[in-house]
Amino acid sequence: MSSPIPPPNSAPRLFQPAQAAGRRPALGLALTLTPIAFVLVLLFGGAMLLAVLQSLGFAPWFGVNTFPSLTYFKALWASQFFWISVGLTLYYATASTMIALVLAIPLALALTKAFPGRGLYDYIYKLPLMIPYLVGIALAVLMLGNGGILSRLAAYVGLIDDPGQFPAILKTHYGWGIITVYVWKQTPFMTLAIYAVLLGVDRNTEEAAAVLGASPRAIFFRVTLPQILPGIVSSSLICFAFNMGAFEAPLILGGGFPDTLPVIAWRYFNDADYTLQLQGMAAVVSMGIISGVLLFAYLAAYRRYEMMIGRV
Amino acid sequence: MTKVHLSGVRKSFGSFTAIEHLELTIESGEFVVLLGPSGCGKTTMLRMIAGLEEPSAGSILLDGADVSNTPVQERNVGMVFQRAALFPHMTVEKNILFGLSVRGRPRGEMREKLEEMLEIVQLHDFRHRFPAQLSGGQMQRVAIARTLITEPSVLMMDEPLAGLDTKLRATMRRFIRDVQKRLRLTTIFVTHDQAEAMELADRIAVIFDGRLAQYAPPDLLYKRPSCMAVADFMGVSNIFPGTLVAKNRVESAFGQLRVDEQPRCPLGATVSLMLRAEAIDLHEHKEDTRFQAIEGRIVERDFLGASVVYTLECGATRIAVSEPSRRLLDVGRTVWLDIAPESVWLLSH
Ligand SMILES: Nc1ncnc2c1ncn2[C@@H]1O[C@H](COP(=O)(O)OP(=O)(O)O)[C@@H](O)[C@H]1O
Ligand SMILES: [Mg+2]
Repeated sequence: MSSPIPPPNSAPRLFQPAQAAGRRPALGLALTLTPIAFVLVLLFGGAMLLAVLQSLGFAPWFGVNTFPSLTYFKALWASQFFWISVGLTLYYATASTMIALVLAIPLALALTKAFPGRGLYDYIYKLPLMIPYLVGIALAVLMLGNGGILSRLAAYVGLIDDPGQFPAILKTHYGWGIITVYVWKQTPFMTLAIYAVLLGVDRNTEEAAAVLGASPRAIFFRVTLPQILPGIVSSSLICFAFNMGAFEAPLILGGGFPDTLPVIAWRYFNDADYTLQLQGMAAVVSMGIISGVLLFAYLAAYRRYEMMIGRV
Repeated sequence: MTKVHLSGVRKSFGSFTAIEHLELTIESGEFVVLLGPSGCGKTTMLRMIAGLEEPSAGSILLDGADVSNTPVQERNVGMVFQRAALFPHMTVEKNILFGLSVRGRPRGEMREKLEEMLEIVQLHDFRHRFPAQLSGGQMQRVAIARTLITEPSVLMMDEPLAGLDTKLRATMRRFIRDVQKRLRLTTIFVTHDQAEAMELADRIAVIFDGRLAQYAPPDLLYKRPSCMAVADFMGVSNIFPGTLVAKNRVESAFGQLRVDEQPRCPLGATVSLMLRAEAIDLHEHKEDTRFQAIEGRIVERDFLGASVVYTLECGATRIAVSEPSRRLLDVGRTVWLDIAPESVWLLSH
């Protein structure tokens, strides 16, 4: 369109003077945060270090110590099923995050408007937030299973002759059941996160765009969406990370072998042969690496965008 | 240059009526100010003209064509919002270009018009900044440029100067007036500040509670308000009860006063007498008075710089008189008030 984007540091940075003047308070803040940082590092960093060590063969308390060796990773990565598992894990996590997002954005926008039944709607959409995942999974089994309510209903209405003919939604590698549960549970969360950001958006910007001749589509993509992006990024980040690591839904509703990564890890941990825990750790660490790299790239891209629009 | 006509426009929000049967014509190229207290319906009127709000009844005509059913995007009007409503994620340039960009105008035209707009609003040095890096006045200038670049048929501004400090407001008023004169744009400007309205307007529409109270040029509005509410809002300081005893004579607390003929008031009617503070002359000697001399004692003096306002006691009534501060009269002294018949304005009840 117009001129190239200015380099981010060409514009004077508004917060610089305050920062320079606030050196002492910054030190105080650092001191205040130290105990918290200490707990975080110890609890998470310590455990993470241990997980990495184990995955590299360090577990003297099991009588195993081949540290450092990549045996466990090699065993895992050499198998083609491992990569199918990675694909499945990514697919379930991505698809459910995207679908939830596509549902959550219009819901959040609707929440800022007044309409009949608004009060009731306010309660209903939050309901899944208060119900545990496992209950959601149970509901999915009851509703979507081959002997479930939907199949019986379809048979009753005459869409199919017998509930058994109902298309398989659960226990397939398409993961409709898993995705349904994630979407059902996470759409309200994303709606809430985006709605919170939307409350801080000057809605006159959308009206200004309309008066300037922008179509509803242009208003959404060029004015609204960029302004609610922080809510979209933070909530999709959280949901994606959770979906990557969650194992109940894929275990109960998934298609069985090859399983998702968390289920693989869980099976190793659960094995009678406790030395397999090291193999499980390798799966966990692999999962951490994949999810970490993806999320880091996502955040880096978002940060670049933020710099482009002058927010950072 | 477009003529705007609101014909029998009413607007209700549920059971609440914000605008009641409004008839208003804005001539093409005219600068009209909608003036009224907060909540009287000014913003609602602009929003209806823009198409952001639909009238409950009546129609809106632009150059004679009914646009009541034209969607906001196609009305080609301009609106500057109270808090600028700039796109926070776009630079000044991109904000200004938005209207042309969504119309898919060619790049060359956009460049050309952008330079033109930056020239008008004097924001060359700020073209790459984001709204958060601008002052309030600069933000409003960007908002104005963003609107002007689409060459709207009507320019509407909703209290665009409300958040600015006094000095900047004065500069911005002059700027807006200059731009309007240069482009000869039909302009509707909203404010609740009567001084601002008088400085800017060709005509002022005073609105109270969704009703048009008076529609007149500033001087007329100031000297000849149509009702007590307008007089009060325009800051008339002296209002006294009286009775019209002859065609051009009114009985009041100061005795009988000569006034101009008042065709609007019937003989014997109870009236309100309006005397603007600066229309009364003060004399130290009775012989100097030209029209009618009333004795008064100065009880208060407020020095305002260029002018000075005295509060005088005339018998049992108090009256405010303002005059240039070239001379200062002391509190406590007795003076003579001289009231020209044409400066008395009567309102019948
Ligand atoms: N969307 C709306 N819903 C209900 N009432 C409204 C709405 N918009 C405006 N009003 C009411 O209409 C009246 C006029 O509002 P407005 O036009 O904003 O006044 P002004 O701009 O003169 O301050 C106010 O009493 C306001 O509360
Ligand atoms: Mg308003």
